[in-house]
Amino acid sequence: MTPEQRPGKARRGDPGRRPDASMTLLTTMMERPLDAGYQEAADRRAAAGLPRATSTRTVLVVVLALLTGFLFAVASQALRPKPTAAAAVKKELVTRIEALQQHGTQQEAKVASLGKQVRDYEALALQQSGGPDLTATIKALEVQAGAVSLRGPGLTLTLDDAASADTDANAGNRPSSGFEEGRVTSGDLQIIVNGLWGAGAEAISINGHRLSSTAAIRFAGQAIIVDFRPLARPYVITALGDAQGMQQLFEPSFAGLYLSQLTEEFKIRSVLATSDSLTVPGDSAAHLEVAEPIGSPVGSSAPSSPAVTGLQKGTGSPSSPSPTGTGLIPDGTSRPAPPTSEENPS
Amino acid sequence: MIPVLGLVAGLAVGLFLDPSVPVWLQPYLPIAVIAAMDAVFGAIRAILDGIFNDKVFVVSFLSNVVVAAFIVFLGDQLGVGSQLSTGVVVVLGVRIFSNVASIRRHLFRA
Repeated sequence: MTPEQRPGKARRGDPGRRPDASMTLLTTMMERPLDAGYQEAADRRAAAGLPRATSTRTVLVVVLALLTGFLFAVASQALRPKPTAAAAVKKELVTRIEALQQHGTQQEAKVASLGKQVRDYEALALQQSGGPDLTATIKALEVQAGAVSLRGPGLTLTLDDAASADTDANAGNRPSSGFEEGRVTSGDLQIIVNGLWGAGAEAISINGHRLSSTAAIRFAGQAIIVDFRPLARPYVITALGDAQGMQQLFEPSFAGLYLSQLTEEFKIRSVLATSDSLTVPGDSAAHLEVAEPIGSPVGSSAPSSPAVTGLQKGTGSPSSPSPTGTGLIPDGTSRPAPPTSEENPS
Repeated sequence: MIPVLGLVAGLAVGLFLDPSVPVWLQPYLPIAVIAAMDAVFGAIRAILDGIFNDKVFVVSFLSNVVVAAFIVFLGDQLGVGSQLSTGVVVVLGVRIFSNVASIRRHLFRA
């Protein structure tokens, strides 16, 4: 860039003119980044017979160094990005939601333990009443009504939104109101759950919420709601039953094809796994809606009669499956109580 | 060595006191920091060149900071604040780079 390096370059007009005279600003910036004042001062001091450089330990320099450090520190503190109001609000909402969810979980556990207590008292009252032993019948009906937790072999189907779906929206971003095809919808869950029922599932829970005969899978906004409780992704569907048989029936069925379509077309992630020991919790929202007196002694009556509709909920859909066959046992009891045992132990 | 200690002490004081900067002053802080860095690296180079002068350092430091802040202020008033800030950052950045390159040549002979 110096004139010596390019001697033959166009020298129009003034012969002493640098060829890059029109770029003096850039030239001085690139070639002489050091303040010219230093050189001039050094020259003056040399002419006066002093050493060219002054000490770096003068008061001025130290004070200025202090000031510089102060400036750097203040700037770094003042200019650090502060959390925005939206982020603060989101954080507070998240803590509130988490606290309330924890509260809800505690209450559910309380409901479960109280329900167990109630059942114990019921059993005790039945024993003391001197009537025929209805314990086995009640147990069978509770299993059918989905009021107690069950344990047994089965399938777990894990569904999740497509990786491309914007699942971690930033604070302040309004959720898009449109349909995002990478998301699992309540309709998908309905079809898949119905397919599992059809394939012979005997008890199904989604994310730990038992599907009883009155449970509905719905949506509110973009949230999927099962039995009035919102779910968060991923959606884990636990279906108890004959694992191999269910899988063989489910995969070629309409729901199975639908699921593979979802995976192929919309990149919705799904994992189907079999297991020998799965647990489906009881429906904590089960409550007594219909009660009828027992007409005949239970020992001879078939379980199909609505003898003791203790915990059956309302108007159950006819598709509610009957738990039979694969030896599901109510969770927490040591004694297997197959629902098919019609004879009461006396 | 003593100036370095002074710099560290200034940093410590600034971090410890954490003074609140008035809002009207905040747009000038980044530019002031860049200008200060330019002056500091210029001074280090002058020390290594053997032509350091404390008065020149102080004057260049203050004038750098004031002029840079003034340019930003002027740009804000004219509605071209961000463009002028970019210009200041480019000029000072180039100077910082060349000064640091010269310091590097002094220290490592490379």
